[in-house]
Amino acid sequence: MKIWLLALAALPLAAQQTAPAAQETPPAPLTTPETTVTGSVDLGYRFNSVGGSLDTFRSVVDMGSGVRLLGLDLTIESATRKWFDSINVRGSGWGGDPYTTAHMDATRHDWYHFSFDYRDVAYFNFLPSFADPTIGNGVFLDQQSFDSHRRMMDFELQFLPGHWIVPYLGYSRDSGFGTGITDFVNGINSYPVEDRPRDSSNNYRGGVRLELKKFHVTLEQGGTTFKDDQQVFTSNQNFGNNPGPFLGEQLDVTSLTQAYGVRGDSIYSKALLTANPTPWLDLFGEFLYSRPDTNVNYSQYNVGQFVDLMPLLLYTSELDLLTGVAKQPHTTANLGFEIRPVRRLRVIESWMTDRLHNASSAALNQQLLTPAMTTLLNSFTDLLVMNYNREQVDVLFDLTSRITLRGGYRYEWGDGLTSGALLSGFPTETGQLKRQVGLAGVSYRPLQRLSLSVDFEGSGGDRGYFRTSLQDYQKARIQARYQVRQSLVVGANFSVLSNQNPNPAVNYSFLSRDSSASVTWTPNNSKRVTLTGEYTRATLRSNLNYIVPQDFTTGNSIYRDNVNEASTLVNLLIPGFGANGPKLSVGGSLLRSSGSRPTDFYQPTARFSAPPYKHMTWYGEWRYEGFAEPFYQYEGFRSQLMTIGVHFTR
Amino acid sequence: MRADNLIPRAWPPRFASAPPPPPGTRPFRAGHPRALVVAATMYLWAAAASAQTPPADTKPATYAGSEACQMCHEDIYKAFQKNPHAAVEKDKRRGFETRACESCHGPGSKHVESTAAADIRNPAKLPVAEADHGCLSCHLNQPTHVGRIQSAHARNQVSCVTCHAMHKSAEELVPRRRAAINAECAGCHTAEWASFQRPYKHKLPEGAMSCVDCHNPHGSVLAHSMRTVSANEPGCLNCHGDKRGPFIFDHAPVRLEGCTTCHEPHGSANPRMLTRADVRFVCLECHANTPTTAAASHTLGGVPPSFHDLLSPQFQNCTVCHVKVHGSNVSRELLR
Repeated sequence: MKIWLLALAALPLAAQQTAPAAQETPPAPLTTPETTVTGSVDLGYRFNSVGGSLDTFRSVVDMGSGVRLLGLDLTIESATRKWFDSINVRGSGWGGDPYTTAHMDATRHDWYHFSFDYRDVAYFNFLPSFADPTIGNGVFLDQQSFDSHRRMMDFELQFLPGHWIVPYLGYSRDSGFGTGITDFVNGINSYPVEDRPRDSSNNYRGGVRLELKKFHVTLEQGGTTFKDDQQVFTSNQNFGNNPGPFLGEQLDVTSLTQAYGVRGDSIYSKALLTANPTPWLDLFGEFLYSRPDTNVNYSQYNVGQFVDLMPLLLYTSELDLLTGVAKQPHTTANLGFEIRPVRRLRVIESWMTDRLHNASSAALNQQLLTPAMTTLLNSFTDLLVMNYNREQVDVLFDLTSRITLRGGYRYEWGDGLTSGALLSGFPTETGQLKRQVGLAGVSYRPLQRLSLSVDFEGSGGDRGYFRTSLQDYQKARIQARYQVRQSLVVGANFSVLSNQNPNPAVNYSFLSRDSSASVTWTPNNSKRVTLTGEYTRATLRSNLNYIVPQDFTTGNSIYRDNVNEASTLVNLLIPGFGANGPKLSVGGSLLRSSGSRPTDFYQPTARFSAPPYKHMTWYGEWRYEGFAEPFYQYEGFRSQLMTIGVHFTR
Repeated sequence: MRADNLIPRAWPPRFASAPPPPPGTRPFRAGHPRALVVAATMYLWAAAASAQTPPADTKPATYAGSEACQMCHEDIYKAFQKNPHAAVEKDKRRGFETRACESCHGPGSKHVESTAAADIRNPAKLPVAEADHGCLSCHLNQPTHVGRIQSAHARNQVSCVTCHAMHKSAEELVPRRRAAINAECAGCHTAEWASFQRPYKHKLPEGAMSCVDCHNPHGSVLAHSMRTVSANEPGCLNCHGDKRGPFIFDHAPVRLEGCTTCHEPHGSANPRMLTRADVRFVCLECHANTPTTAAASHTLGGVPPSFHDLLSPQFQNCTVCHVKVHGSNVSRELLR
């Protein structure tokens, strides 16, 4: 190899030796285009310091210490454009952050477009205030806690992008894994036990897009596979949440193995259509069909002292084997048009239907050791049916060049059928949906820099699937934006939703209001100072009657939420160092809420960056996270995150 | 957040008189007969006027080519070279070869001569629907716009150029970086973005997700422009595949009204982004129907049996026992 390198290095010398003695003006060297790489790399080290509940900190923030690749953003432009025009590579959070992302896309004009996306999101949930019956005993053990990951990746390859026929292939994968604590429920007792969830879904798809002048059709055929191999187990003696004796017997579990072997698959089809057969008519339609199936093989073996209340039976071990299958054909169709009969008028009409039918059956073989062996065989069937339909018409009229009025009507109807509740005595129960909704809106632009829009919908209400469904409701939204000057933009939003269900048994009253204001100031084309800020106030009031299970009296579920939130960010170029001088950013968000779960959550931040060289910037970032809940003081935390890093650009 | 993106760039001061559309694109609206009458009237008027006054330049503008635009608009021309639409300059199929600028702005010969703003079509000053027509003359028949006609953005007169910057880089034409996408949406949806400052939320401010992971801004068959996955399943299942089912024993609200029946997806002060501070009220607000009230209200959700003593901590959080609350393959009561 070295010999070859020496030979290559000597070639220019040899060329000089053979050059003619009489040197003429050498021809201008041909500038061959070079592949360029531009972008940035952001490397840093983060220190964290946490006071208070580490578990809550991990459940809410979960940023750790250590070296991190905080950001990567590169673009490679090919000079020859032989195999690709450009490749973009992006990534963030590598090195142990809870949100790790990667992205790559490559394009060759008229040939292909390829994209790859990857995310690994770590979930840590361990909140004593959530789902913990032992709080009353002073024991903090969350029986619905997890330390898990979800990984998603997606590939897509399009051929001939920009041509009238575009075939494409895609593959996506979503998987989850980790550890946790869940509950093993048996008779009158429940036992916190170890949980190891494992699931994954794969999606394979291929299709073709036909994009012609007068119409477009997309046809896609895909399939999915799913598996869930969750395992729940314990090998320690556990007295559960009811540690007292029952009929003189101490209930416990000494050994447990639950194994879920769930396999699923689905085929699906998708057809999309748009067409504009005449200049005054646009048509659109979709037909979507999927048929997911699930096959279940479940086994459970538990040893200890247990009780079955129906019939009253004490036993020492149990072996359950269940097999089942569920099939759920699901069809969705949508058809509509936009017609423009005269210049200022547009009419949009659409119909939609969504139909789903899940039919399932299972067989359970249950063997109990009492100490005599008792074998129980059960078979189950279950169903869930949903039929939803919607028709909507919108009329948009340009009253003047600055005012557009909109009015419309939506009719939604459907039904849902499921198994009857335990106490109802009926094999099935039905919910019905019937909703006639009036729609209205105005868009007003008195000036080029001022915009105001009002959006309203309301329904007299008739029937909803659930007691909390939208029934007699009014919803409105007002948005205003004003560009005071080139560098200053202010905005204000207001939205309100009021929902009532006056049925005496329900007596539901719901009101939520959001008001927000924002400002963006970028004087002198953002050269020295930029400022963004917003303030939001959100209130929610809900009252609803419910039945207290133990005595069947009527209670009132009251929920209140009153949130004040402000966030801002000020970027300042330190004077005296030129346009590429040091920069200071200060801001963050402050949230304070009162009501049913009062919460204070403060996240101020500051960042200082200084560029010692043209393509390199040192920076330090400080971030404070303060979380407090007056009702659950043991869950509060305060953390300081300090990051020191270097940012390279090219 | 770019300040110029906060304001829809297509706010019109008035209906501008647009030059004739480029060849190969369809005229925008109906009303050909009226247009003919107007044209004939104008022709007669012009013919009469020509007898008295020197002949005016009534010839329609013709294409001048992008190089002519570059002469005066050098900065825009340069920036545009990084925009994917620059490919139109070499694209024979669309019929705008060497005149990419005029593919949106219309024939520019008159403007080249007069340099008057009135002599060129400026989509930023057209009514929203008319400005969008310029984009849709090429992009209408594409899959992303199947739902656009129905989307809230289209209904509320949010123009294409509100989100897509035409003269700038590819990233500004179609933001791909999550932070850029979120900033774009948050410019108008301020209150929604404020929800993400709550402690329990999807991780958008952290850059792990973007708004378009869940929503399709061009519209969708589902409410709130929710994305679909595997044809017609809600986009939530793209990441939460373990909740997909079908289960042997489904929990009806998951299918009938979706995840938002119990969760606030943008953020909540309640753990698990629940709609209520106490888990039991999330459940009991629906599970409160006696057979009589269920029949009267036509709603689903029967009351639990009486051994659920809410005074006991064990029964105050339903999901302690009903661990498979999204659907179970083993237990009708969603216990395992």
